[in-house]
This record gives sequence, C-alpha cells and structure tokens, in this order.
Amino acid sequence: MTGAPVPAVSCRGVTIAYGATVVVSDLDLVVPRGEMLALLGPSGCGKTTILSALAGFLPISSGEIHVGGRAVAGAGRHLAPERRDVGVVFQGYALWPHLDALDTVAYPIRRRGVGVPEARNRATAILERLGIAQLAHRRPAELSGGEQQRVGLGRALAREASVYLFDEPTAHLDATLRDRLQLEIADHRLRSGAAAIYATHDTAEALAIADRVALLRAGRLIQEGSPTTVYERPIDLWAARLTGLASIVDIRILGAGTGADAGRIEVAGSSQTAVVATARQLPAGDVRAIVRPDWIRLGGTIPGRIETVAFRGAYTDYRLATPAGTIDLRAGGPPKAEAGETVGWSVDRLWIPAEPLEAANRAI
Amino acid sequence: MVEALPVRRVAWLTAAGLVAAIIGWPMIRLFGVAFERGIGTVLETLTGPQATAAIWNSLWTGAIVAVLAVASGTGAALLTERSALPGRRWLRAGLLLPLLVPPFVTAFGWARAFGPRGLTDQVLGVALPGMYGPLGIVVVLVVAATPISYLIVAGALASRVEPDLERAARASGATWPEALWTITLPLLRPALLSALVVAFVFAINAFGVPAVLGTPAGFATITTRLYQDLALSADPTAFVRATTMAATLVVVALVVVGSADALFVGRGAARTALPSGSGLTRGRRAVAAGLGAVIVLTTLLPLVALVLSALTRATGLDPVPANWTLDNFASALDSRFLGGLAHSLVLAVAAATVVLVLGAIGVAARHGRSRALGTAITLGFAVPGSALAVAVLLAYGGWLRDTLAIILVAYVAKFWALGHRQLAGSVERLPGDQVRAARASGAGAVDAFRSVVVPTLRPSVIAAWLVVFVFALHELTMSSLLYGPGNATLAVIVLNVQQLGDPTITAAMAVLLVGVVAIAAVPLAIAGFGREPANLRERVSP
Repeated sequence: MTGAPVPAVSCRGVTIAYGATVVVSDLDLVVPRGEMLALLGPSGCGKTTILSALAGFLPISSGEIHVGGRAVAGAGRHLAPERRDVGVVFQGYALWPHLDALDTVAYPIRRRGVGVPEARNRATAILERLGIAQLAHRRPAELSGGEQQRVGLGRALAREASVYLFDEPTAHLDATLRDRLQLEIADHRLRSGAAAIYATHDTAEALAIADRVALLRAGRLIQEGSPTTVYERPIDLWAARLTGLASIVDIRILGAGTGADAGRIEVAGSSQTAVVATARQLPAGDVRAIVRPDWIRLGGTIPGRIETVAFRGAYTDYRLATPAGTIDLRAGGPPKAEAGETVGWSVDRLWIPAEPLEAANRAI
Repeated sequence: MVEALPVRRVAWLTAAGLVAAIIGWPMIRLFGVAFERGIGTVLETLTGPQATAAIWNSLWTGAIVAVLAVASGTGAALLTERSALPGRRWLRAGLLLPLLVPPFVTAFGWARAFGPRGLTDQVLGVALPGMYGPLGIVVVLVVAATPISYLIVAGALASRVEPDLERAARASGATWPEALWTITLPLLRPALLSALVVAFVFAINAFGVPAVLGTPAGFATITTRLYQDLALSADPTAFVRATTMAATLVVVALVVVGSADALFVGRGAARTALPSGSGLTRGRRAVAAGLGAVIVLTTLLPLVALVLSALTRATGLDPVPANWTLDNFASALDSRFLGGLAHSLVLAVAAATVVLVLGAIGVAARHGRSRALGTAITLGFAVPGSALAVAVLLAYGGWLRDTLAIILVAYVAKFWALGHRQLAGSVERLPGDQVRAARASGAGAVDAFRSVVVPTLRPSVIAAWLVVFVFALHELTMSSLLYGPGNATLAVIVLNVQQLGDPTITAAMAVLLVGVVAIAAVPLAIAGFGREPANLRERVSP
C-alpha cells in the first residue's frame, strides 16, 4: 500500500437504471476518510438512488463502487448490504416497531456475533453518548420524530462502519431539532474518523455541515467543491440557484483582466470597483455575471427601483429592478427603504462562469 | 345536522332488524333444533362413528391445508413484493387466478390433469397417487387457499413492513434470512395468524373439493357428510345428525376465528409500487421462472386438462387433434345448463345489488353502536356455508323451500360482510377535509356529495358489487343444500353431472362455467391491474 491513502468510498462511471429509465449516469465520486460529503440536489435528482446503490439496496448497471478499498459493486459483483462496511440513517427513520431503542441499537452489534448482555452494554453506551439513555425501553411509537431519528443514528453508529450514509435525515424535523442533530452528526463523525455522505435538498444544511458539496442534476454530478467554492464559483446559473439566491447582471469590463480578482467595471453606466472572479479569459467589453445577494450593497451610484421588500428578522431581502437586470439584494437589519422607492446600489463581487450566461434576467 | 340523528336511528334499526332476520334468526333456529333433544343426544350424535370420522377428517385436513397454504402464500408474497422479479405483474395475476376458478372445478381439473387416466397419465404414464382421497383434497385446497393467504400477507407486507425496515436490518449487518427472521416475520405475525385462521376456515368450509375427490374414495368431511344426510337422505336420524354437525361446524369456525374481524385483515391489499431491493438481488430470473412454473403446473395445467377433456370425443382417447370435437359443448349446453346459468345470473345480480343496498344502510347507521352491527354482519361471513344453509333452511324452509329466494337469503347472509366492509372502509378513508374543501369552494351539501363523495366511492362500490357477483355466480356449497327441483344453480348442475360420472360433459360444463366467471371477472382484473402505479420516478428519488 503505497501512494495516496485508500479513500473511504470511490465510484467510477456508476450508472443506475430501472429498466430503460436511467436514473444516475456516469457518476465519478471519491470520498476520502474523515470527510463529510453533501449530495445536494432537488427532489428526483437521484440522491437516494446513489445512496441505495452504495448501501447495496440497488444493483448498478455499469461502473464500479469501492468501499474502504474493497470492490462492492461492478463487473458482475454485487455485495449484499450486510457485507459492505456501510451504516445508513434513513429518511423515514425506518425503526422497527417491535423493538425498543436499546434492542434497535444493539441489533447491528448482535449481528457481529456479540452476545446479548455485551451488545446491550455497548448499545447503552451509544444511547448515552446521544443523550437518549432514558429512552432505552421505548418503542418507536412512543418516541417523537427527533428521538426516533436519534435512535436511527445510534443504530447506524453501532455498525462501526467506514462510511455512513445519511438520506435527508432531518427532512421531517423542525428547524431547531435539525440544527442540534446536525451538530451531533458532525461531532460523532469527527470522533470516529469515518467518512459520511449526506443527501439533502436543503442548501443551508449542505453548506453548513459538509466539507465538500457535490451538486446533482437529473442523475448527473455537475460540480463538486468546498461549500465556499460551490457558493462563490457555481459552474452555471442552475448550480448558482441550487446553492442560494443568485441574480444576473449585465456589466462592462473596463480594461482587460485575465482571471483578475479585482477590477474596474461599469454597471448601467456607473463605474465600480469590484472583485471579478471568473473561470475564463475575459476580454474587455460587455458580459453577463452572477451576483449573490450578499455581494451587493444598498447605497451607491447604480440606480434601481425597489420592487419588493421582505423583512426576515436578522436581515432584509430586497428585489430591485435595475437597468442591468433584476437583482436580489440582502442587507442586515430592518428595512431601510420601501417598495417603489428609487435607490442607489453598488456591487462588491461578481462571478463569471465559463459558459456565457443567457439573458435570463429574472432573479428567483 | 339536527335531522341527521333520526335518519341514523332509522338506518340503524333497519340494519339491526335485517341482521336479526337474515343472520340471527337462522342461527337461533339452528342451535335450537340441534339442542332440542338435549345435550345428551348432541354428544351421542357427535360421537357416532360417521360423525366422528367426518369431524376428525375436516379438522386434520383443515389444519394441514392452513399451514401449507400460509407457507406457500407467504413465500410467494415475499418473492413478488420484495424482489424485482421479471414479469411481476403476470406472476401476481397468476397467483390470484385460482380465486376465479370454483374450487370444485379446480379439483375436477386436477383429477383430469394428474389423476388416474388424466393428462399426465396418458402422456407420460405418471399419475399422482392418492388423487382421490385426503392427499388430493389437501393439495387442491392448498392451491385454492394460497391466493387468499397471499393477499393477506402481501397486504400486510405493503402496509406494515416498509421496505426500509428490512433495508435497515441488512445495513445493520443482517443477512437475508436473518432480516426475514428478526424483522419481517415478527412484524407479519398478526397477518400470518389471521391468514392461518382464514385458510383453516376456508378448508373446513370447503364442500366442492371433498365432494369431487373425497366422496368417490369414501373419505367424508363435515360438509360432505352434511350434504349426504340432508340432500340425499330421507332418514330422520340423518337430519338430526345434519343439524348437529352444522352447529358443530359453526362452533369450530367461530372458536377459531375468535374475533370475526380477523377475517378482514388483508382486505384491500395495497401493493408496493417498486421492488425494494431488500429481497433477492441475484437469481431473480430463475426464481421468477420457478414461480411461474409452479403457477402453470398447479393452476393452468388443470385448466388445460379440463379444456382437453372437454374437446376430446370420449374419455380414454388421447387428447390429440384427431380426437377433438365440439360435441361435448353442444351436449353440455342443454336446457338444464342454460336454466342453471339463468338461475345463477339472477341470484348473482340480486345478491350483489341487495348486498350493496344493505351496505349503504349499514354505512348510514354507523357511529356509536356500529361495532356490534359490524361484528354481527361479519359473523355471517365467518359461519361456514353448509351450516348457514342448514340454518336458513330451518328458519325459512317453511315458506321459501325450493325457491330461489331461500338461496338468495343465504347468499345475502354470507356476502353482506363483503359489501359492508368495502363501503364502510372507503367512507372512513374519505377525508372529511375533502368534503369541507368542496363546501368552502361554494358547493352545497348535495352538490358536494355528488361532486366529491360519489366519484371517490364509485370504484369501491363497483368493486364490491363485482366481488359479490363473482362469488355468487360460482357458489356451490349453499346452493347444493338449498336448491329444489327446477331451480338448481349452475355450479350444482355441473357437480351433479360430475357425480353421474361423465368426465367429458362435466369438463365441457366446467369450462363454460369458468368462462362465464372469467367474463364477469374481467372488469375486476382490469381494476386490479390498473392500480399498479405507473410513475416510476416518484419512488426512485426522495
């Protein structure tokens, strides 16, 4: 074993189809040990299908999957779920109605041939770590959603796997519980040093929890990178909108920049200094760029008319109609202007993806 | 809502009165007559050699049939519902096919296929030893009862055991058998129990199969003994024995059923849309082929043997095209057969319609006291047909003897539960918010009923009517005890011809009977097939 360490999970050219319907095509994905990867995509993009294939619930049509350096699927091989080094936390909890929390968490330990008393001891330790030891003798029907999810997490941890798969584990929980559970997941993953793959359609969750984010569209991996990379440098408008609010503005580059990180630009006839990040060679002239709502400020020389104002507590969202396009703008604090008012604004940062943007001037 | 109360009360009183008249009074008469000479006579009758043998035969064959039918139904359900078998739809349809064939026709078909001088005997020189006798009875009853336990277990698999529960076990390190043993089967336990009960009651209730395969071998069960004592004998002690055994049959069935509601656990079996991947991942083609072969062998081949018998000029000739003729069908389609067909159609239409009307009254009467009502109605379904027929005969034989009406009373008592459950179930599933939403959208009470409630209920109303119609169309047990001169039902006429011993004519009649039932069942099959969710993507992704 020389060279790079063996990754926890690696998928090469994985294609998954139900009959003639291809659900995931040509997926290449490597997750190093100790990393948390978020699979981010809208409903129906194939997140659950990918996790099912990793866990061994679904056969793959082509390609190969390695878990912990061992080939588990591909080339006529399909290892059963119990023979893969994988723990799963299910979206709908999937707790067994006839087993209490203790026996549920002890179940994977028992399957390794550990006797009942010892398995229960270890399960109790896991329940204690998760702060739910007092629920040991309750069955799923007597547990709240958050408690059920915690038992499900305990069952997965008891597997002592080299990779954990989370299928939208917080989808059915309210925001507070979701935040707490995310912290717990991160905490336990750090302690075990295992890798984790976390499927979600919730952008904020993916950006907050993951070391790396993989964006999925219709069964294809379209971009992967750190949370800040996918937020600041989305490969196209679709990726930009998957990872947060994004608007398109028409700008003119003043003076040639070659992937320059700061430069002079003109927006709607007004000269600005802004960070212009780009994935291509930029000649001087007119171009379309993506702006995030936090890259724009109220106050400045570019004119705009406020269309809507939404107060959200810690910040306020504005939508502005401007000569450069309709833009979404986010500013801290309560509303400082009303709908219908004409204001001035300025831009701090822009992103120009490799492919030219189409004139989709509607912000979402 | 003020005037709703009296409506409900009237409906309840009507329903209660009808239950008392159609189910209650016949039962009271049955036990009254059985016990009128005291408990001593009852015991004496039951311990008589003929009765003892019949009761014992019914019990042990019933127990074996129950265990085997539940085992095979469960196995089939696990395969079709949990593994992505190729041709799943066809396998499901094939597994349910025996429901459409009257069991005595299945028995006759098996005899023609695997019995002495049957198809395999003629072609391969191989016949199933013991076809006539307990072995044949058990095998054919298992074939006939398997779809029922299959439906119950498949329904429970869909509603009680989410595939994710089994996946969680596999992802926790359990092998396929371990997951089955520690997760699936414990969660299925109530369904397995109720499948056992239903299969047992089905088996001890069966009349046609032991009549075709047992009687020639001198092997009597409670139901065939009853038939001989009641329909073929004028001996007064035989009549006493018949009522006593009918009462015994009721007691055995009710003791086993316990809560009559156990009969309906698997009703309306929901189906899993897509194979879950928690089942077989390899060898699916071979398993599907094996399952298909079993269906062909146990269900299709007997039907093919029937058709070949019906086409062959005389018994004993090889079933080759040179010996084929349509004469048997021409002889079968005589005035008796057509009369029987007419009687069966009239009875089936009447029973299905009356049952729906009664079901509607029962729904109108629901709330509060409806539990007692529902249980009493279900009782009628739990009581074995032979015993129910004897009870109805005792209660109304005085003025309805030898009319179609007395058969209709028995059918209604038997099938009321089907309509009641179907209607009550779909009314309960109708979310109140849907009606409220219609009202909030500006619909009046009547308009909301017409535009929201009726379209929602229509499929289940039609399904209930069709189910009762199909059951009544090929009903044999009750009509064989209740028919009089000139008003025999189709199934009775076919059985009588069979017992006269002309296999080719019997086969032709049986083929026609199955054909009539199959035509009636086409809309049902379409409804069942159409329920398969077509939208793949919905299940594929979160």
